[in-house]
Amino acid sequence: MSYQPPPQVIQLPQTQQLRALTTIIRDKDTQRADFIFYSDRIIRILVEEGLNHLPVVEKSVITPTGKEYHGIDFQGRICGVSIMRAGESMEQGLRDVCRSVRIGKILIQRDEETCLPKLYYAKFPPDIASRFCLLLDPMLATGGSAIKAIETLIDHGVAEERILFLNLISCPEGISAVVAKFPAMKIVTADIDEGLDAKSYITPGLGDFGCRYFGTDK
Amino acid sequence: MLSNHIIVGEGRPPWYKSDGQNCDCYVVGIAGASASGKTSVAQRIIKNLNVPWVVLLSMDSFYRDLTEEELEIAHRNDWDFDSPNSYDYDLLLETITKLKEGKKVDVPIYDFETHKRVPNKANTVYGANVIIFEGIFGLYDKKVLEMMDLKVFVDTDADICLARRIKRDVAERGFDVAGVLKLYQRFVKPSFDTYVYPTKKNADVVIPRGLENLVAIDLLTKHIQRQLQERKMQSRWDMAKISPPKELSPNVIVLEKTKQIDGMHTIIRDRSTTRHDFIFYADRLATLVIERALNELPYETHTITTPTAKTVHGLRLNAHVVGVSILRAGGTMEAGLRRVIRDAVIGKILIQTDPSNGEPQLHYCKLPPSIRENSTNDDTYIFLMDAVIGTGAAGLMAIRVLLDHDVPEERIIFLSFLSAPQGLHIISNAFPKVRVVTSYVDPVLNPHTLFLEPGLGNFGDRYFGTEND
Repeated sequence: MSYQPPPQVIQLPQTQQLRALTTIIRDKDTQRADFIFYSDRIIRILVEEGLNHLPVVEKSVITPTGKEYHGIDFQGRICGVSIMRAGESMEQGLRDVCRSVRIGKILIQRDEETCLPKLYYAKFPPDIASRFCLLLDPMLATGGSAIKAIETLIDHGVAEERILFLNLISCPEGISAVVAKFPAMKIVTADIDEGLDAKSYITPGLGDFGCRYFGTDK
Repeated sequence: MLSNHIIVGEGRPPWYKSDGQNCDCYVVGIAGASASGKTSVAQRIIKNLNVPWVVLLSMDSFYRDLTEEELEIAHRNDWDFDSPNSYDYDLLLETITKLKEGKKVDVPIYDFETHKRVPNKANTVYGANVIIFEGIFGLYDKKVLEMMDLKVFVDTDADICLARRIKRDVAERGFDVAGVLKLYQRFVKPSFDTYVYPTKKNADVVIPRGLENLVAIDLLTKHIQRQLQERKMQSRWDMAKISPPKELSPNVIVLEKTKQIDGMHTIIRDRSTTRHDFIFYADRLATLVIERALNELPYETHTITTPTAKTVHGLRLNAHVVGVSILRAGGTMEAGLRRVIRDAVIGKILIQTDPSNGEPQLHYCKLPPSIRENSTNDDTYIFLMDAVIGTGAAGLMAIRVLLDHDVPEERIIFLSFLSAPQGLHIISNAFPKVRVVTSYVDPVLNPHTLFLEPGLGNFGDRYFGTEND
């Protein structure tokens, strides 16, 4: 692929096993149980990678052998924020890695009149402004709802550079739209697709992630 | 107070050298007339030896399948089962050769009613340090003789043999005395005189009077024990003292030290970490080790159609993964394995340290059919799991077990949370094609405690909650 994402974007290393995982979730013939299982596996890897971009401090501990191990400790607390509904599919993967993490929710829907994304609902931990936010949405297409969600977080006092946006599949259009608006934020993505089709779906993509994960398609 | 740690019986001490090569096992052949007491002598030797992992192999298992014509003769009771012509020497030789090399073998089960081997059934024998092979033609075949370390002929008087045979066949096999005598005169006696008795000259030791000859049996046992002693292997304590090369072998893959890996290690190494946290972070770390190991497997191009009707040329895993955990601590990686491969088949190998000398001992081995049958497993890869690779002694033993089951070396990927350079070197040196995936390499293996430093203590105890307070 000739597309070079901007430096704010961290794409997971395209290992063979990751490519095999994305192949499974892209396949229209993949059964739902498999879709969920393999999506969760990718999401865990995404979260693990995302957490690597949070600040740390040095920390030494004493091991049971009585020796010192010079390691690190994570600085600051985190919370997940899922963009409903599809973002909620990433919560299990997040919890597998960050047990009992607090999770905020944002519901954004397309406004029938203006055709623009509109915020319908948000509920965050009260101290969200002091936390690092892992914003969850599996697909980054036009970036419309992501931008709306990030604006909402910033309105609640979260600093732009303290947001990590995690998604499974993104595309150049969505990346440039979001990066242009929030250059201090990082995006962690598993795969970057060619682009958008006439209906603004990611292509080749994988269809509607939320519907396939929650089983509400057809 | 009762100990919270029980090991019953002795495990199998190492049967290979530190370069991973098998030492031949010790083969004893016992021949003699029918009902001369061969089996009893063998059993007495086994009892006296009092070491585990002794296999008693009977020539009866190696009767060959009779042809249709021969079967007719047999059903008329005219077939001479006491003739050397009734046995399958090729299979016998193959079996003993493989056993001697330490390989797994399938010993056929012979059905005396149908005069055929029971189809699709066999006794799997693995891991003998001593094989005792007994049968009337135990010292008959030249090639089989060459495999033997000690050849014994039980020389019991013919009248005693006949008396025993009458007793046995009448009591256990439904014959009448006349029938036994007829068989004896027609087949048993001529065969003994022509074929069996002359093999006495092949023997190293002749035991007159069979089982009653306690002195002879005692001498034999002592001799075998001495021979076994001389095959002592390199000790685990010596393994800890080697100076490994600075560079790890290219087949050792250490996970990139990201902040997450370092952070998780900080938690699991901290002696004040609760078990709750220890388990959570161990499972998380295991998942990453497994994911990394999966990248070592072969993939093939796989073309699919997306719900948006686009064609994607992706990849597909072209392998079948079987997990094998080295118990107890290797079991801690199973949760991680299941997170990544939901329905992974998991075999178990229990290796414990012999408290008397610190050497590993094999106590139990249960491997899945895809390994045992060794048939259509062209795409099978083994994820061998242990928590910590210290001296490498347990890993060496477990890999040896897999190789003895004909798993190709390059199909083994050995996974661990933490490793010492010594153990990694021992493994790579012995088995250069085995790949190792580990999340961290610690600098020091304490030669006195055999613990890694800084290390993390006893991984299994902390995970399973069995440490002493």
